Amino acid sequence: MAHGWRNGPQGGSQDGRRSWWRPELGLAVVVLALGVLVIAGTLDVSAAASRLGLGPRFFPMLVGGSLVVVGLFYVLDVLRGGHGDPEESEDVDAAAPADRRGVGLVSGIFLAFAALLDVLGWVIGASLLFFGLSVALGAGHKGRAAVVAVVMGVATYLLFVKGLGVRLPGGPLEGVI
Amino acid sequence: MTSLHLLLDGFAAALTPVNLLYALAGVTLGTLVGVLPGIGPAMTVALLLPITFTVPPASAFIMFAGIYYGGMYGGSTTSILLNTPGESSSMITALEGNKMARRGRAAQALATAAIGSFVAGTIATALLVVAAPAVVAFAISFGPEDYFALAILAFTAVSSVLSRSVVRGLASLGLGLVIGLVGIDQQTGQARLTLGIPQLLDGIDVVIVAVGLFALGEALYVASRLRHAPPSVVPVGRAWMGRADWRRSWLPWLRGTALGFPFGALPGGGAEIPTFLSYAAERRLARGVAREEYGKGAIEGVAGPEAANNASAAGTLVPLLTLGLPTSATAAIMLAAFQQYGLQPGPQLFDHDPALVWGMIASLFVGNTMLLVLNLPLAPLWARVLRVPRPYLYAGIVLFAALGVYALNGSAVDLFVLYVLGLLGYAMRRFGLPVAPAVIGMILGPMAEIQLRRALAIGAGDVTVLVRSPVAATLLALAALALLAPLLRRLPAREEVTPTG
Repeated sequence: MAHGWRNGPQGGSQDGRRSWWRPELGLAVVVLALGVLVIAGTLDVSAAASRLGLGPRFFPMLVGGSLVVVGLFYVLDVLRGGHGDPEESEDVDAAAPADRRGVGLVSGIFLAFAALLDVLGWVIGASLLFFGLSVALGAGHKGRAAVVAVVMGVATYLLFVKGLGVRLPGGPLEGVI
Repeated sequence: MTSLHLLLDGFAAALTPVNLLYALAGVTLGTLVGVLPGIGPAMTVALLLPITFTVPPASAFIMFAGIYYGGMYGGSTTSILLNTPGESSSMITALEGNKMARRGRAAQALATAAIGSFVAGTIATALLVVAAPAVVAFAISFGPEDYFALAILAFTAVSSVLSRSVVRGLASLGLGLVIGLVGIDQQTGQARLTLGIPQLLDGIDVVIVAVGLFALGEALYVASRLRHAPPSVVPVGRAWMGRADWRRSWLPWLRGTALGFPFGALPGGGAEIPTFLSYAAERRLARGVAREEYGKGAIEGVAGPEAANNASAAGTLVPLLTLGLPTSATAAIMLAAFQQYGLQPGPQLFDHDPALVWGMIASLFVGNTMLLVLNLPLAPLWARVLRVPRPYLYAGIVLFAALGVYALNGSAVDLFVLYVLGLLGYAMRRFGLPVAPAVIGMILGPMAEIQLRRALAIGAGDVTVLVRSPVAATLLALAALALLAPLLRRLPAREEVTPTG
C-alpha cells in the first residue's frame, strides 16, 4: 500500500521507543483535548436552572462529550495504522514529505507581520509580507518580487482606504500617501 | 402559477442596471477564483461578507450567487488545461478533459464544459423554481424538532460522505461545532468558552474562520509541499465545437443534469458523487467512437460531469433557501450572509421577502447567460490566468486574507486568531480531514442548538419530543444510516472506488 512512505520520513526512526509516533497523532490528540477543554470550560458557565428547558451548558456538554468520543476513536485509528488521504490540489505534490522549513518560514513571516502591522502601517507591512512570502515560496528573482510587493502594498492601500473607505493603519507613511 | 409571476417580478429586480453590474462582478470574480488554484467560491464569498454592511441584500445575494456559479465554470477550465484537478467538484472533468486537451481538442473540451454548464445551470435553476415552492409548502408545518433533526442529518451526511474515513469527517465537524460555541449564549447571555478574552465574547467571526481554514491553510499546505516543476498549461484558442461534438454532448448534458440536481439538494450529496456517477454512466453508455476514446479523451466524459456539477450547485440552493440548510461550504457561508442581514432562510423567507428570493433566483438565469458569454470567447484569457507564478499567487492570497480579516475590526488580535485557524486548516489538509463539515458545523451548530432548546422547552423536558413527529423521526433515522452505512459497506466499496482515485 501507498502509506509506506508516510511512516518512513518521520523523525523518530533512530529512536525505537518513538516508532509508534506519527504526526497525525498530534491532530488526533488535539481533537481529544479540545473535547475535554470544552467540557472543563463549560463547567464554569453558571447554569440558570430555574428556567424551563435547557440552560447554556447542555449543548456544549453534548458537543464536548461527542468530541471526546470521536477523538478517542481518532487516536485509536491512527495508532492502528489508519491515515487520511492528504488533500490533492493543483500546486501540491501530495506524495512529497512535508517540508517543515517552508511551513515554519511562512508562519514566522505571517506572525511577524501580525505583530508589527500597527507599527509599520499597511503599506510597509503588507509589502514586507508579500516580499517575504513570495521569496519563501520560491520566487526566483528577488528584485522583481520586491517591485511586485511594493506595488501590491501601495495599490491595496489606495484601493481599499482611498477607494472603498476601509480603515487600515497608515504607520510612518500616514499623511504621505 | 404564482411562482411564475413572482419569478417575473424577480427578473424585473435582477435586470436593473445596478443589479446587472453586481451579477457581472459576481460571475467574473467567481470565474477568476474558480480558475485560480488555492482559492474557491467559499472563501471569496467569506471575504466579501463585510460588504453586507453597505450593500442592499438583493444585490449582495445576486453577486454571491454569481460567484457560486462562476466558480463552477472556472474550475472546469483549470481541470481541462492543467494536468491536475481543480476544485474537488471538477476532479472528474480532469480525467477526460485534460486528455482531450493534450490531443489538441482543448477548445472542444472547454466548449462542451461551458455550454453544458449553461444548459445544466438553466434547467436546474428552472427545477429550483418548481421545487422550491413545493418544499416550502411541505416545510411550513415543520416544528423545532424537525429543524433539529434536519441539522443532525446535514451534520452526519456531510461528515460521512466527504471523507473516506467517518471518524475524520466527524472530527472536522466537531472542530466546527466548538468554534461555533465560542461567545455569548444567545438565550441566557452567558459567556461560553471565551477563555476570559473579551474579544471572543462576540464569537469568532465567520470571515476569520473561512479565510483561515481556506486561504491561510492552503498557503501553509502549499509551502509544505510545493510542486517545484512549473505547471504545464495546454495552450488554447477560442472555445468552439463542431456538429459531431454537439451530437455527442447533448444527451450527456441532460443525463448529467438529472444526476446533479437531486444530489445537490441532498444533505451531504454535494457535487463529487453526481459527477462521478455521470462519468461512470457515460462510460457504460458509450458506443462506437466514444467507446474507443473513453480513457483517452472522450467528449462525453467532460459533458456529463460538467453538467452534473453545475446542476448540483443549483440543487444546493433548494435546501438553503427553503429550509435554511446548507449542504456545501459555500452554501454555509451564504447562510451566514443571510444572518448578517437578520434574515433566516426557510419557508418564512419566501413569505416575507419574496422580492429578495425571486430576484436572486432570476439573477441565476442572468448570471448563467453571462457566464456562457464570458467563458466561450474569453477562454484564452482565463488560460493565461493559470500561468501566474505560484509564489506571487499565494503571497497575494495571504495578503488579501490578512486585509479582509484586519479590516473587520481593525484589530491585530484577529490576525493571530486567523493564524491559529490557518494552522488548523493546514493540519486538516495534510491529514485528510475534509474542511466543509467544519464550516457547516460552525454556522449550523448554533442554529441546531436553538432548535433543540426550543423543542425541549415545548416538550417540557421530555426527550421523546425529538422523535414524536414522523418527519423528525425519519430524518434522525436517515442520519443514523448516513453514519452507519460507510461502516457496513466499507470493504466492498473500497475496491470499487480505488482505481478512479
